[in-house]
Amino acid sequence: MTTPHAEAANNTLPYEPEKATLEGRNKVLGFWLFLGGEAVLFGTLFATFLALRNQTNDGPTANELFHLPLVAAATFILLVSSLTSVFAIQAMHRNRPALLRNWLLVTVGLGLGFLILEIYEFSQYIRHEEFGMTTSAFSSAFYTLVGFHGAHVAFGILWIFVLILQMSRKGLTVVTAPKVYVSAIYWHFIDVVWVFIFTVVYLLGKVG
Amino acid sequence: MTTDQHSPEGGIKHRHRHEGPQRHIVVFIFSIVLTLIAFAAVAAGGVNATFAVIILLVMAVLQVILQMGFWMHLKDKGHLLPIIFMLGGFFIAGTCIVMSLYWVWWD
Repeated sequence: MTTPHAEAANNTLPYEPEKATLEGRNKVLGFWLFLGGEAVLFGTLFATFLALRNQTNDGPTANELFHLPLVAAATFILLVSSLTSVFAIQAMHRNRPALLRNWLLVTVGLGLGFLILEIYEFSQYIRHEEFGMTTSAFSSAFYTLVGFHGAHVAFGILWIFVLILQMSRKGLTVVTAPKVYVSAIYWHFIDVVWVFIFTVVYLLGKVG
Repeated sequence: MTTDQHSPEGGIKHRHRHEGPQRHIVVFIFSIVLTLIAFAAVAAGGVNATFAVIILLVMAVLQVILQMGFWMHLKDKGHLLPIIFMLGGFFIAGTCIVMSLYWVWWD
């Protein structure tokens, strides 16, 4: 059996390199256990938000605050970034590191776009709507839930960017492939959480 | 362990098949349509609130099932354990949500 890096030098990569080694398979499984925990964590934040969403303490209500075009734009950006990370993994399965890197860069770029939109949204609320962290139970629950998701996006951007750098040094091997695969799963999970956020926080907020 | 050799270009001689992008683009289009239905139900206004809530939740759940199945590969072989753990996570998350709503609505 050749070593992982020799394998890359010969440019032979097993099919689905993320599952080619026991370590890789363990990483993927371990990551799913982590995501199960993440689901619980976000569940508690959603539960808190749903319980407190009408406690506005004479501050702005959800219906007054939210602008759907901004939310729609953020949703679209994150959805496209989820698709581009699928393309990245497909490029990885075809052993095309350059294409993989490019799709990851597109994904990271879109993630940055989403983050900038969210920062803009929060700053608008704080400066023009007088809707701060301590305005009401609703505002605290809102910033905690949506901000926590934003922090996950920020972490994902950093993580994938570091992986791009690492691959530029070490190449695409059975060691680096599981990391990329797991980061793509993470990115999809962020998008899945956002589906619930735009539904429960923004759209339900508009319905009342 | 089966290790197919890839030629640098991605190769022609394969024992395995690479899935193309088509299926994922279909999932993407479905996701967009489900999202549009949800936004339209709210933006159009005049939709009965209870009915709108049901539409929103159904659209969200459908989209999540699609994306977790195809994009996170949960529909693929060998994913029973991840599915069990995710369902376990969702079950506990759901319990928290039901408990909170029960507290607020029927206190």
